[in-house]
Amino acid sequence: MSMKTTTLPKRYHEAVLRWRDVFLPDYNFLIENWDKHFPNDQTFELCAYREMGMCTEIECGDMKGKPKAMKASELQPEQAHHLFGAIRAQASTEFGSIQQHRLTLARAQEEEEQFWVLRMMAEELRHGYQMLHLLAEDDWSSVSKDSTSDVIDDILSMNTGSHVLGAFNIDFDSFADNIVFCALIDRVGKYQLQMQKISAYQPMAESMPQMLREEAFHLAAGVVPMRRWATAAAKGETFVTMEVLQKTLNKWIPRGLEMFGDERGGASNVRMGLKPMKNAEAQQAYYKEVEKLVRDLNLRYLRARVENLNHGDSEAYLNRILAGETVEGVSREDLVHMPHAEFFRRRGVPAFRMVGSQGETFDSLPEYLKHLSRNLPESYLASRDYKDYVEALTQVTTGALTVEAATGRMPALRRVAGACPCSKSVRWVVDEPAVAAAQESVIQPVA
Amino acid sequence: MTETTPGITIRPLDEMDISDIVAIDEKIGGKYRPEVWERQIGYYLRRDPESSVVAEIDGKVAGFMLGEVRSGEFGLEEPTGWIEVLGVDPDHQGKSIGRRLAEAILEHFRQRGAHSVRTLVDEDKQADIRRFFGSLGFEPSTLRPFVKSL
Repeated sequence: MSMKTTTLPKRYHEAVLRWRDVFLPDYNFLIENWDKHFPNDQTFELCAYREMGMCTEIECGDMKGKPKAMKASELQPEQAHHLFGAIRAQASTEFGSIQQHRLTLARAQEEEEQFWVLRMMAEELRHGYQMLHLLAEDDWSSVSKDSTSDVIDDILSMNTGSHVLGAFNIDFDSFADNIVFCALIDRVGKYQLQMQKISAYQPMAESMPQMLREEAFHLAAGVVPMRRWATAAAKGETFVTMEVLQKTLNKWIPRGLEMFGDERGGASNVRMGLKPMKNAEAQQAYYKEVEKLVRDLNLRYLRARVENLNHGDSEAYLNRILAGETVEGVSREDLVHMPHAEFFRRRGVPAFRMVGSQGETFDSLPEYLKHLSRNLPESYLASRDYKDYVEALTQVTTGALTVEAATGRMPALRRVAGACPCSKSVRWVVDEPAVAAAQESVIQPVA
Repeated sequence: MTETTPGITIRPLDEMDISDIVAIDEKIGGKYRPEVWERQIGYYLRRDPESSVVAEIDGKVAGFMLGEVRSGEFGLEEPTGWIEVLGVDPDHQGKSIGRRLAEAILEHFRQRGAHSVRTLVDEDKQADIRRFFGSLGFEPSTLRPFVKSL
């Protein structure tokens, strides 16, 4: 196992450094305190890593067994089109998450948790850099009319609201968002990276192993604090209650599910050797994994609430509580639960269906909105993102808009001109249906 | 590094293994220590998640082995693999899980450039662990731990 380290051409590298100065101002603070929080860990370096010695034959699809493409020009046009969209979307998510995390980073209650998130942000910057490296190293002119410089400029100009995938356009309201986002949305990232590790485009496949290694810690940076919060909540020691955790899960799980793309899609990526799983298959595996996380949080809570339990007892107690019994003063309402996979969805098969957090269905819009207001974080209910959803849902229920049109008509911040990371060249726009459809084809990196 | 033989899957450690590892530790030692394992697993995941492995049976962790490749310690300049923590669920002992975990971790250490692997065993209290490492070809080393009470 060996790795090749490279840096972007100077002008792009410096553009990323300028972006970092704007959106990751605590970077120097992280580096100055690295040894205190991560003693003996290799110091962070902004560069692209490519793993050598990986499989050189296509691992799935119609061309299984044939040599992987070393250059974009060796890809079939459809492959190149999908891949270019996926790289651009991946880059957008990496930079986008940093912009979200920085809003509430200072609100961390524990220094350790804050530094874990800060390190994760620096590594997300490197992941974005890795994707820019893929764009800058190759010639994508067959699938993009924009120059490499314009594509990179476009990515670095995106801001919360103009990113390719919905989950990266939602502002964080509290440090609970930072942590739950790491545990849930980075988990989607893990699935994407794992699938892309077998990409028929060798530079993409070679980019994944180091990103996956770093992603493993990002998930821990979410899961470990959530476990600690569940314990603290059981002891009444914290402001992060199980109710806050539940509402934050409800906010992010639907967005995580949608990041896999439409449940009916993904076959073309498998056929072209770009990913080994269709969207629905990956989404279901993700849902099951998050179910385990939720059960673990409940076990942690239960052990803190009820003393002298052993592991076997706690599993049995939890099953009884989930079945509706109150055991040792703990009831189902004290615990956290998986929201139904169709709850609060705006993309994919269940988009704009009025499905409640436990799978119940609603016929009345006001009743459904009341249900949402009881099940989502209060601060999020005041957000632009939620307002847009309610407006679109209202139009769908009155028949003024089809579900497809509603999915594409959500307003988003988009870059309309300008050319620098901190440009003021973004504004709210509403896509025309044709534009929205075109965007959709690009924003489904797993479609 | 994931490999599967009938009924047992060996794969890299991940953050979702914390609960199962806490449970195994509790079965072996009788103490519930989630904080210890949350910290430990956070450490190994941020250092090199592929250097630590778990054995899975029916979707549950049945054993784990945590370690990493380091260099520049104790006069050992070359990259050296260190096996630091291991545990096998008492309900699954006798299934060669420890051996399978060791084979996987040693292979990863080789890939990371290590030419040797080391561990520390308390010979008085861990005779079974001593035998286990002996069966894998580990031999006593001249690098000895020295201890002073404070």
